[in-house]
Amino acid sequence: MSEATKPAAAPLRAKWFNGRHSRAREVLIVLEPGPRGPALHLHVVDLAHAASRRFAHDEVEWPPQWSAGRAPERVTVALRDHGSLEIDQPQAWQQALAAAGDRPGLAQRMQTHLPVLLGVLLVAVAGLLAFYRWGTPWAAAQLSRHVPLDWELSLSQQAMAQVDQAWLKPSQLPVERQQALRTQFTELLSRLEPSLKRYPAYAPRYELHFRRGMGPNAFALPGGTLVMTDELVEAAAKQGLGDDALLGVLAHEIGHVEHRHGTRLVVEQGVLNVGLGLALGDVSSLVSMTSTVLTGLAYRRQHESESDCFALALMASAQRPTAPMADLLLGMSQTREGRPPTAQGEPAQQRSPLGDWLSTHPATPQRAEMLKAGMGASSCPR
Amino acid sequence: MDSTTQRHGIAAYRLRFSGSGGEYFRVWIVNLLLSIVTLGLYTPWARRRTARYFYDHTMIAGSPLEFTAPLRKMVTSFILFALLYVAYKIAAETGQDTVVSIFIIAAALLAPYIWGSAMRFRLASTRWRGLQLHFAARWRDVYVASWPIFLMAAVWVGITYGLDVLSADSVQPARAPGGRPGPAWPRVNAPMWGLIAIGLVLSVLCVIRVEFNYKSLLVLRAGIGKQHGRWKPVYSDFVRIWGATIVVFLAGAAVIFALFAGAAYAAWPLLRTIKGPSFLPLATILLILFLALVFFLALFLASAPARAYREARMFRLIWSNVGLSQIARFKCDLSHWAFVRLRIKNTLLTLLTLGFYRPFARVSEYRMKADAVTLHVKGGLDQLVGELVRQQDALGDALADMAGLDIVG
Repeated sequence: MSEATKPAAAPLRAKWFNGRHSRAREVLIVLEPGPRGPALHLHVVDLAHAASRRFAHDEVEWPPQWSAGRAPERVTVALRDHGSLEIDQPQAWQQALAAAGDRPGLAQRMQTHLPVLLGVLLVAVAGLLAFYRWGTPWAAAQLSRHVPLDWELSLSQQAMAQVDQAWLKPSQLPVERQQALRTQFTELLSRLEPSLKRYPAYAPRYELHFRRGMGPNAFALPGGTLVMTDELVEAAAKQGLGDDALLGVLAHEIGHVEHRHGTRLVVEQGVLNVGLGLALGDVSSLVSMTSTVLTGLAYRRQHESESDCFALALMASAQRPTAPMADLLLGMSQTREGRPPTAQGEPAQQRSPLGDWLSTHPATPQRAEMLKAGMGASSCPR
Repeated sequence: MDSTTQRHGIAAYRLRFSGSGGEYFRVWIVNLLLSIVTLGLYTPWARRRTARYFYDHTMIAGSPLEFTAPLRKMVTSFILFALLYVAYKIAAETGQDTVVSIFIIAAALLAPYIWGSAMRFRLASTRWRGLQLHFAARWRDVYVASWPIFLMAAVWVGITYGLDVLSADSVQPARAPGGRPGPAWPRVNAPMWGLIAIGLVLSVLCVIRVEFNYKSLLVLRAGIGKQHGRWKPVYSDFVRIWGATIVVFLAGAAVIFALFAGAAYAAWPLLRTIKGPSFLPLATILLILFLALVFFLALFLASAPARAYREARMFRLIWSNVGLSQIARFKCDLSHWAFVRLRIKNTLLTLLTLGFYRPFARVSEYRMKADAVTLHVKGGLDQLVGELVRQQDALGDALADMAGLDIVG
């Protein structure tokens, strides 16, 4: 190596461990720009005959810079099979690298430049929100297409058996009253136009069951099993509301079935578990588990709104009013909050203090308002 | 430096960790963000950056360790591992029991192989002063070292057989002529309890033996240059540490139980008001979920001091009793109670900050361990002569990493 090749920068002193002995050799290194990044020239100085070697950019393990402020005591540069270099002047090394046209990668820039880190943080947060808001529901809606009806039905059968055992008793409604409601329910189903169906090929087997217990309530199981409690029918009668109120509730539950909310919730939880596990697994399982539970509840509120919209559309198609259903909901929530149920003698204020985050349904007044406004003024996508 | 070590015969070098919690937090948050943005694909790069950070700042006799694993191998093995994992998950979710059991049996049979190749990869990726470490165990050695696992299986087969004999003795009259025993939950008498207790004790002893075998194999077959590792601890050292750990765990569990019992007593009136018929199913589910969470948290907290205690004592035992053939040996003066205190502080801070203290915790624990080790060298460090060995497949590394094996400590 002659001096005629004019080095790009002042040579750096370094120790070279050649990978065969732990004894070091004194060397001088020079970095010079190359087509894909800096290349490294190595000159051994403590040998009688001056030996030198050039390492191309990808023959060198370039050490990362860990901090913009604090320099490490020593920088080591691995030369694959040719051992390693130890450099005692980290600052001079960084300057030589920059002078030789080194372009640090994204991770390196995030490590040493706060604005870059904040920029990626912003992208990551936006990405997580988008994943949660659109990605997961979309994936669940798509995946649910492939879930067979038989699986839903067998699941519902098991769930129904469990609920019957734990919470519910047989209905005490007169058989004629049950029959009258079932007839109207079938009539309502016949008004279910194909345009209302989220999954056109999905043909659930609808059954309406009556049970006692659990307070005024109605729920739908995947596959088409609907349950209405005696208490709900009685609450409607007590408020002097007609069957339109009850049919509105049933339309809402049909909405759950047609949108396959039960299945989607299972799939959404699965997708979320996988997604958050991948993304947040390194923070702690506690965080990712809590966020899965909370976001699961948020999805259920979304489902309720979707079902309300479906109920509005179905009731409009059946030419029935939705205002009675709104009155029923409002009346029920006032009973719950205003007067304490005498049997239990509990405090009147028993709504969850965590509010929206821990409730499965959207706030009742808003729902009632939307149902009263009907199709035209509602926020439903059309 | 060279001349002084030559003259006095033995030179002592204190290991030193020169990293900082703040810096590693930055490394960690960058890894986390890039993993989120790439949906987890960044994982091999992230692992490489983490390993490099710790290696770069671990100074031995003035020179840092170097992590030189080839990135391409880490990436391909990660993708392979991810595919296997997804295949297993799909099989498990869709209820294909045969496939799932094939996966589990294959994993169990391959576990020693995976461990061996993980260690081989890790050591071959570690350099110091340009010299590469290597792990020279053959597969046969690793499987032979696994004998306690097979012994454990044999013990349980024997105990199952013994239980059958004992229960046949005692339940003889209760048995219906049809041949099927009446009660679903078999009655367990005193000799049977004794047999189960013996089985448990033997199992624990087998587990300790496996740990001992693997650790000694790792040290004895590891080498740098042409020098091989030296190993002095004996099996009874390990048994003593495990025994003391069980005592520490029971003490920790008693403290945590007392704390939770007190908290539950104080919170009882509050809990009673939550119960109500109007939102019964959801509240019950949430309550059960909450209680399960509290239980696991309690178990985690109760076992944290014991796990730290075992880790510290094991670290000290090993790093006080290993060396490199006749030329180097390590000494360690890690105080295990100081380490337990540090772990308790770290655990609480990690919980309070929802996990964001973890990088600081990791750095402080690593620092305490690394700074406690001293290297004593006879003659000069320059005597070490290296030879390069070929890199193995990195799949074992990826699998072992997921299983939580770690070479450091």
